[in-house]
Amino acid sequence: MIAPYVLVFLVFVVYPVTYGLWLARHPQSYVTLFDDPVFFRTVVNTIVFLMVAVNVKFALALFLSGFFVHDRAWIRWLSVIFIIPWAVPAIPTIFSIRFMLNPEWGIINSVWFRLTALDGPNWLNDPTLGLTMAMVVHIWKALPFWTLILIAGRLAIPRELYEASSVDGATSWQKFKYVTWPSIRTLYLSSTILSMIWTLGDFNSVYLLTGGGPADLTHVLATLGIRYIRLDQVDQAMATIVVALPFVLPLVYFMMKRLSANE
Amino acid sequence: MAGVSFREVVKTFGKTRVLHGISLDITDGEFVVLVGPSGCGKSTLLRMLAGLEDITGGTIAIDGRVVNDVDSKDRDIAMVFQSYALYPHMTVRDNMGFSLKLRNEKQALIDQRVATAAKILNLEPYLGRYPRELSGGQRQRVAMGRAIVRDPKVFLFDEPLSNLDAKLRVAMRTEIKALHQRLKTTTVYVTHDQIEAMTMADRIAVMNEGRIEQLGRPLELYDRPANLFVAQFIGSPAMNIFDGVVQSGAVEALGVRWPANGGASDGQRVRYGIRPEHLEPASAGIPAEVVVVEPMGAETEIVAKVGDAPITVMMRGRSNAGPGERIHLAPQAAHAHLFDAASGIRI
Amino acid sequence: MNKFLREAKLWLIAIPILLWTLLPIYHIFLFSISSKDSAFSGALWPDHPTLRNFGTVFRQEHFYLHHFWEQIWNSLWIAVAVGVITLFIATCAAFAISRLKVRGGRTVMNAALFTYFIPAAFLAVPMYKAMGTYGLLNSRWSLVLAMVTLASPYAIWVLKQASDKLPWELDEAARIDGATPLQLFRLVYLPLMMPSLVAIGTYALLLAWNEYLYAFLLLSHENTIPLAVGLGHFLASDDSPWELLMATALIYALPPAAIYYAFRRYMVGGLTVGAVKG
Repeated sequence: MIAPYVLVFLVFVVYPVTYGLWLARHPQSYVTLFDDPVFFRTVVNTIVFLMVAVNVKFALALFLSGFFVHDRAWIRWLSVIFIIPWAVPAIPTIFSIRFMLNPEWGIINSVWFRLTALDGPNWLNDPTLGLTMAMVVHIWKALPFWTLILIAGRLAIPRELYEASSVDGATSWQKFKYVTWPSIRTLYLSSTILSMIWTLGDFNSVYLLTGGGPADLTHVLATLGIRYIRLDQVDQAMATIVVALPFVLPLVYFMMKRLSANE
Repeated sequence: MAGVSFREVVKTFGKTRVLHGISLDITDGEFVVLVGPSGCGKSTLLRMLAGLEDITGGTIAIDGRVVNDVDSKDRDIAMVFQSYALYPHMTVRDNMGFSLKLRNEKQALIDQRVATAAKILNLEPYLGRYPRELSGGQRQRVAMGRAIVRDPKVFLFDEPLSNLDAKLRVAMRTEIKALHQRLKTTTVYVTHDQIEAMTMADRIAVMNEGRIEQLGRPLELYDRPANLFVAQFIGSPAMNIFDGVVQSGAVEALGVRWPANGGASDGQRVRYGIRPEHLEPASAGIPAEVVVVEPMGAETEIVAKVGDAPITVMMRGRSNAGPGERIHLAPQAAHAHLFDAASGIRI
Repeated sequence: MNKFLREAKLWLIAIPILLWTLLPIYHIFLFSISSKDSAFSGALWPDHPTLRNFGTVFRQEHFYLHHFWEQIWNSLWIAVAVGVITLFIATCAAFAISRLKVRGGRTVMNAALFTYFIPAAFLAVPMYKAMGTYGLLNSRWSLVLAMVTLASPYAIWVLKQASDKLPWELDEAARIDGATPLQLFRLVYLPLMMPSLVAIGTYALLLAWNEYLYAFLLLSHENTIPLAVGLGHFLASDDSPWELLMATALIYALPPAAIYYAFRRYMVGGLTVGAVKG
């Protein structure tokens, strides 16, 4: 009964990956890759994206999970709404944000103009602003999921611990420091790692918002590989991924260890 | 209905041997309880009989047929599990009829068998319910119902009452016993609770570390435990046991003389055993100091110190002794037990 | 007073959350009911709300919309195929690993998890190349198979977790009751796994419906692409009819959102717990 999956795995994972690695064997690919100015910029972008987006997202998720565990009917309803970005497909919402950010007739700059009588910034035509907005999109989309995970983590903490600490005279900050954080620290850490892996693979937030532009200055590794495919340079695309592997594999290894330790 | 016979049954898990050659014959219609502390191998033995564990060595026969290589489903047995193992997605009716359905029996026959079983077990009002809508005792009865609709050769029970509260456990004990008296199906019942064993069994096999320590009728085990293990395991509160030396027909222990009835030679080192109810406070006898008094209404349990050793005394009626008070104990010599100090075997 | 302050503080957090969450969604809705002029005026509510955009979409009355119905059918076909195939593969694998304890089950589970953790955008490159060698490019099957590959690992993982929680005694009781392994699978295992199966089926279905990257890499013919790729085509030029794009996008986003909320009970329980433990 296990055969169907084994077959899928061999045909659509093992063979493609092996073939891909074989395509990426030429040292020349890497020379070309490192000579491409876009590549260096992409690496920097990717690192910034990972460090900033993941950490901001988790700081927010940690904060919001604390908000959502309050036991109020209206907060439960709000949490249902809050899930929407995660529940709907990426394209419509990212396009929507893309239009909102249009410098001439986007709704943001219209409102901006009405309030200040000044032209708003050229959001997506500036590499720094463009990448920032891609991170905002990424956070908008992924925040609900991670908040949900941290809510689950917080709800798993026995109520008695809070009651005991109240009796012991703890302030809310002390409760967080001595009860909440120690209980969800491992969850927070493994979630961060998993989120880093997924963020590395986030193609949509960048591609659908800026398309890597202006002038290929907002690419991340996930979009660069695809860019090379569109340019019909598959060897180059594979080389990009091979370069990323030393950073991805330790994270993957960490996650696998974590999951098998839990069994 | 049928007898069951175990011949030199051995079980190993990897390198550890958990059953060391068990031989046991159960006659047709008999109710046998396997009792022992956890890890003694009693459940493993039952699961081997059920066909849920492989038999490493020896043979198991049901109704004269060796079943070592027979599949569970072809052994004609039914089993009641500790967790009941009711199918959560089936109603009581479907749970009880499932085995017959798998055997492609006619629906009319299934309905009739289920109805009969439900009647016996007072489950008629619940046939349409799901297990999650039943109380613990009702689930227990459904599990039994599932076993009896099969009309199997042998019933197997694996700690069926452990998940019930104390009161319900007593009630179900009576129900199972009554059911057996009505159906007369050969039954093998596993429990760690010696009271269950004593009250329900025709015969008890006391097991320890993969061996049967003693096999016998409940009161035989109680009156003449074959060794120290059985003596300590059967009876509640447990038998008082301490070291002593035989001296002219009595036993010198804890600094005093305890009456005993023969069988041992002078100077022999023994373990002396006396049940709490065979010690009575008296005006003269062994001096003791009361530590704790636990009145239970009809009886009173007293823990008293003889020398430095705590001794449990169970007396009928009430006591007005208080902690620290000095009393005297009169052991009934006819009920004293002597065990060899080295081997633990009854003398 | 203290209590009032505390509630006020909660509302002070709630309002930005609401705005942040709903603004892009509202914006889609706003565009889809605006005429072209009003859409580009930056108004927060159109002067003359209209449903005409939807009519244009349904009648395929625009260059970008000529294949609308075909594309939505493709999306549906692909999503259902991925859901069904993933369920089949994952249920079999989970049953074999968790209940039958087949040899090598652990290795297969690890291989699956490894695939799950490799970012999908990285796997896309070799997958694209391999689909080329298999001659599947531009066939809807290439996307179906690719999505099954992506969805199965997590599906197997979640189903295995759920199935490990089923008590062993049920299997044993069924054996004693006379069930063969197949009967055990059909009559006991599948009914008990139903909530997780619903969750996983929905997960795979939504994953496929929502996918953009693989769809646009593997499919490029006007009549094989799903709606997601069709939407992407609107970006080809700068003066695209945004109001039509947003109307189409709304139609595209509604079914998955509806399915998600319909099965939320299963999704939250079944998926988030398995996602990251401890």
